[in-house]
Amino acid sequence: MSSLGRREFVRRMAMASAAGAAASLVPGVAFGEEVQRLLDGVEVGSDVVWRRTPCRFCGVGCGLLVGIEDGRAVAVRGDPDSPVNRGLACVKGYHSVQALYGRDRLTRAMVRRDGQLVEVPIQDALDLVAQRLRDTMEEHGKDSVALYGSGQWTIPDGYVASKFFKGGLGTNNLEANARLCMSSAVTGFMTTFGMDEPPGCYEDIDHADVFVLWGNNMAEMHPVLFSRMLEQRERRPNVRIIDLATRTTRTSYAADRSILFAPQADLAIANAICHEIVRRGWVDRTFVGDHVAFKRGRTDIGYGLEDDFSFTDQRADANWDEYVEFLDDYTPERASEISGVSAADIRWLASLYGDPSRRVTSFWCMGLNQHTRGTWVNNLVYNIHLLTGKVATPGNSPFSLTGQPSACGTVREVGTLTNRLPYGTVTSESAREKAAEIWGVPVENIDPEPTHHTVSMFRALDSGEIRFMWIQATNPMVTMPDLNRYREGAEREGRFIVVSDVYPTPTTDVADVILPSAMWIEREGLFGNSERRTQHFARMLEPPGEAMSDAWQLMEVARRLGLGDLFPWSEEEHIDRIWEEYSRFHDAPDHRMASLEELRERPGVIWPYVDGEETRWRYNTQTDPAADPGRGRFDFYGNPDHRAWIWLRPYEPPPEWPDEEYPFWLNTGRVLEHWHSGSMTRRIPTLHRAVPRAYVEIHREDAQAMGIANGEAVRLVTRRGSMEIPARIDHRGQPPRGQVFVPFFDETLLVNELTLDAYCPISGQPDYKKCAVRVERLG
Amino acid sequence: MARSAPLLLRVVAIGGAVFLMVVVTLVVAPQLRETRERAEFPPVGPLAPPATPIAAESRPYRLRPADVAVAPDVEARTEAQPRTLEVHRSLRAYPGAPPRIPHGLTEEEFRYGLCNSCHARGGFAPRFGAYAPVTPHPELTGCLQCHAPDAMTVGMGIPTLTQDVICGQCHVDPDEPPPSLVALDWTPQDWPQLGGRAMEGGPLWIPHGLQLREDCLACHGGPSAIPAIRTTHPERVDCRSCHVPAPDVADEVFERPLDGRGGEG
Repeated sequence: MSSLGRREFVRRMAMASAAGAAASLVPGVAFGEEVQRLLDGVEVGSDVVWRRTPCRFCGVGCGLLVGIEDGRAVAVRGDPDSPVNRGLACVKGYHSVQALYGRDRLTRAMVRRDGQLVEVPIQDALDLVAQRLRDTMEEHGKDSVALYGSGQWTIPDGYVASKFFKGGLGTNNLEANARLCMSSAVTGFMTTFGMDEPPGCYEDIDHADVFVLWGNNMAEMHPVLFSRMLEQRERRPNVRIIDLATRTTRTSYAADRSILFAPQADLAIANAICHEIVRRGWVDRTFVGDHVAFKRGRTDIGYGLEDDFSFTDQRADANWDEYVEFLDDYTPERASEISGVSAADIRWLASLYGDPSRRVTSFWCMGLNQHTRGTWVNNLVYNIHLLTGKVATPGNSPFSLTGQPSACGTVREVGTLTNRLPYGTVTSESAREKAAEIWGVPVENIDPEPTHHTVSMFRALDSGEIRFMWIQATNPMVTMPDLNRYREGAEREGRFIVVSDVYPTPTTDVADVILPSAMWIEREGLFGNSERRTQHFARMLEPPGEAMSDAWQLMEVARRLGLGDLFPWSEEEHIDRIWEEYSRFHDAPDHRMASLEELRERPGVIWPYVDGEETRWRYNTQTDPAADPGRGRFDFYGNPDHRAWIWLRPYEPPPEWPDEEYPFWLNTGRVLEHWHSGSMTRRIPTLHRAVPRAYVEIHREDAQAMGIANGEAVRLVTRRGSMEIPARIDHRGQPPRGQVFVPFFDETLLVNELTLDAYCPISGQPDYKKCAVRVERLG
Repeated sequence: MARSAPLLLRVVAIGGAVFLMVVVTLVVAPQLRETRERAEFPPVGPLAPPATPIAAESRPYRLRPADVAVAPDVEARTEAQPRTLEVHRSLRAYPGAPPRIPHGLTEEEFRYGLCNSCHARGGFAPRFGAYAPVTPHPELTGCLQCHAPDAMTVGMGIPTLTQDVICGQCHVDPDEPPPSLVALDWTPQDWPQLGGRAMEGGPLWIPHGLQLREDCLACHGGPSAIPAIRTTHPERVDCRSCHVPAPDVADEVFERPLDGRGGEG
């Protein structure tokens, strides 16, 4: 029966592929329709059952259909019903299910005894975790324990984490790795709009005439959205794509224009674009007059390099005249000197943004966020869109992309950060009262003082202020900057590290307890993607061995600490109960979410979801039910004055730049085939073989000047560490002269031992894109 | 009373001034000094895109679907002679070899290398009753440097695709090798396995090398493509976001010891 079904499946696949080949003579055949025809055929009489889920990897949130046969995932296709990807996936998504089946998958709990990891029943391991958590708190106080989670946590995982640590234990030592990739986007949104997450949605791609990609190699990092953009350019000849970046990549080649700028100069370019827009009279005066206010903050803000560093911004009102005067410093010529971009190109960019007949979408991700002035540069891109009134209407969209499947859904919306609650911040009395009421805990349980953001938290682990850390669904011993320091901190005597993961990693290497986690579709869960879309997935597979979901692990330990009343849910219904309870935090028109019943039926729903309608454009009084039409066309209700704020944010150099001793810029990032720290994608044969090892990209002329041949190992040295790594010339990307690039997915070539832990003082997000490095030829 | 207010003011003013000086000395001055000690941020020269783009990264975007597809208002000719894998393979000495030229060349074509007038973009060639295959490297114009014409057909300008017509011009028995050729003990390597993929329904691997063949749509798009390898979705453009080179080592996978401590750094 099973093999028959399989044969039938293969036969139909072949038929569908032949039919597709014939159809392709006529251009414009919609891929999704073809897949649907195929699926309609396959589901009849086949043992393969197709179940819907968001992809496990990036923040695009593609809908996938996973083919399941005999309790195992055997195939993947793009979900043609998903408005995100309309039937397409990328090479990672298509192979994603193979990450479930690596031979070294963690299936049993392990406890370190006399330095050796010993297998124990998971219930014993959970006992030990609870006991150490309790002992540490009794001996060193409630803020000596910490939970470090992830944008790969499902929404229920993050919700349980927040309720357990903030409501139950009463500590704000809760952080997530999204601090390292998204927090500047959050503070950017919060300071400009007063509310997190983008005003628009992916549908903007179907309407925009011009796309400006700010330091964003979308072709490799957000391939499906990139493909949607290229498809639009095929359909609409007026569409232009501009790649504004520090390095030449696949995205640059696909773009209509590639413009290179010097690291950190995005601040100057954005201000110069605004300067030109103002000088040429391209400002949308009505929009600015009705909907914009001007603010300034502190300018001498530091880089967070000192262990005792702290920073509070001081907001002050400004006005139009002050803003215009501020922009005097940013003529295109001045910005050209800082950035290396010609003044003509800056004027040209300004003319695209300034042309009232063109709809403009800006995309960015880590280039602007992993930046010591990340909050500022996010603000500055919003400034361009606000000056020209190009926001919150179809195709006019400043759009911050995310890197993890639920950085938005879990970390930002549930608020698994030291300063946040599921609604509002811990410093807000009303937010604490609301949380206490929904959680059924005394309001005094919730500490009003934030403690540590991620870098600070790992510094506290180093100093001994934090003694116990539980790490779930992330791999900080690959991803922390200045890694040597933080690894030493984690390995110090008297620290107890618990790691919940699906594979052994450099982080499990420092663990005292390893808990095997149920991964992705081995448990029920929800993710939230970049466009405010909440996506549900059912439990489709049995987790291996004793693997358990992260949420259930947390609840098991909470119960052992006498906090069982907070989690009175059975395994069968806990996701339903969590969703009901969590939804109460967002039960208002500005953030209402769909019911679990609806989410189970649909390929995701965009919030605010009010009266059965998704809000595709927020703040627009025609499309957003939370916006007050009495305020005109827009209502930026996140801010108390119902206006969006233009910030006077200057250009400042980074804390470290190339000099005689360390003459190159070091940039780090990803490649298409690998995701995050590579712990999943490296176990997928197709992806691993495509890019098996990390390398350093170096400009051909720099390599020639040093006598370095393609493929030859070189030594990279920074003030923090050194590594030997093969040099690649004209391989995947091309850094300009004086810059090198290393992807961070390879745990055997840890580039983060070299990076600098400077961060944006407002967001706490480190800058992985800029530090000074020396390249040495070996032998 | 009248004198005490200015006195108080003076005290406040002097106190304030002293306080300010202390602040400047203790707080601001060290910061200023630090700023002064810091090297100047170096000036940036104009940045230009690389002179030589990476072929494998840039060329997949060179041809657009519209370049190789039939114009939307024109139906592809159904009577056109389709290209087949067999012909494709018979023109190459081994997988990846430059194909020889299977048709006659006019004297002019031979002398001036006019190949790109048909092969740069393809399109229906009435002379052959077929769609001309599109070259993946139109920037290389010395075509005959790699693609060998058949001396016997040069100057003939006889359009034909079939082997027996060419051979039959001189040989009665087309199976008998021409007397001038020395028999060659040569078997081509296996042709790339088509349809390779990790999972049923997954994206196909790229089963061939990419050098000089980076431009996917040239061979896989449009009516001149061999139907067996023609893409069903040219409009997606970004081929290599799903299709990656085939694994050449059968079972190389990543695995690590459970406890990596003491292992490689």
